[in-house]
Amino acid sequence: MNLEKLMDLPGALAAFTYSDKGDLQSHSIREGTEITPQVLDLLSRSCVANLAIAGMEARGWEALTGQAGFQPLQGFSVVGLEWSVVVNGNTGVIARNRDVDYEATFSALQTA
Amino acid sequence: MHIVKQLMAIPGVIAAGEFAYRGDRFSYEGALTDEFARMASILCRANTLSVNMQSEIFDSFAGNCGCRPVQGWITRGSQVTVCAVGNYFAFIENRPELLNDVMTIMRAKIGDIQDDLLVNLYARIGGDTKEALY
Repeated sequence: MNLEKLMDLPGALAAFTYSDKGDLQSHSIREGTEITPQVLDLLSRSCVANLAIAGMEARGWEALTGQAGFQPLQGFSVVGLEWSVVVNGNTGVIARNRDVDYEATFSALQTA
Repeated sequence: MHIVKQLMAIPGVIAAGEFAYRGDRFSYEGALTDEFARMASILCRANTLSVNMQSEIFDSFAGNCGCRPVQGWITRGSQVTVCAVGNYFAFIENRPELLNDVMTIMRAKIGDIQDDLLVNLYARIGGDTKEALY
């Protein structure tokens, strides 16, 4: 996983990887931000939880409504006040809201 | 123009709507049945509450880290994306630049969601804002 490549995404403040259980495995944080490894550690666990919930919802929605196009899940993002965290698989990127390109970030995580 | 109508005017937006935090009211436009829109409103409300709970925990570990209050969330499917900002949601096709445009419009039209999110949203649909919200 090339975190430095993810750090080139618009507005990227941090990039990180985590295990299936949500343990933070590697990270890169831009200097001068308020993101800390402790925040990333907690965020990793919520990423695993949110992706699991979103996957369940996508599966349930398709089964209940007969609509397609939700699975396979290609990521989840939480939009905070100043930054958004975009995750897929075992990788996440935090990007500043005023600069973030959600589509480019989801695409980068899809191919990462 | 109302935000839902504005969103529905964009090619590629499948449906858009507004849900009440209490979960008992919703409105929508687009390609959903009433029952699917009701289910979507419940789903969006549950996810919004969940990510807000998470942000409260982050804030207790690292105050003013920039995540709180949560403004919304996005679920990216293979062909469809669901995005929510405040108490509005949109189902959109995965077309180039559409997600960025929709998020920009939603953030601009709805504005920053404040700390007192639950009371704020409850107040929008009327009623006694001091009443228990759960």
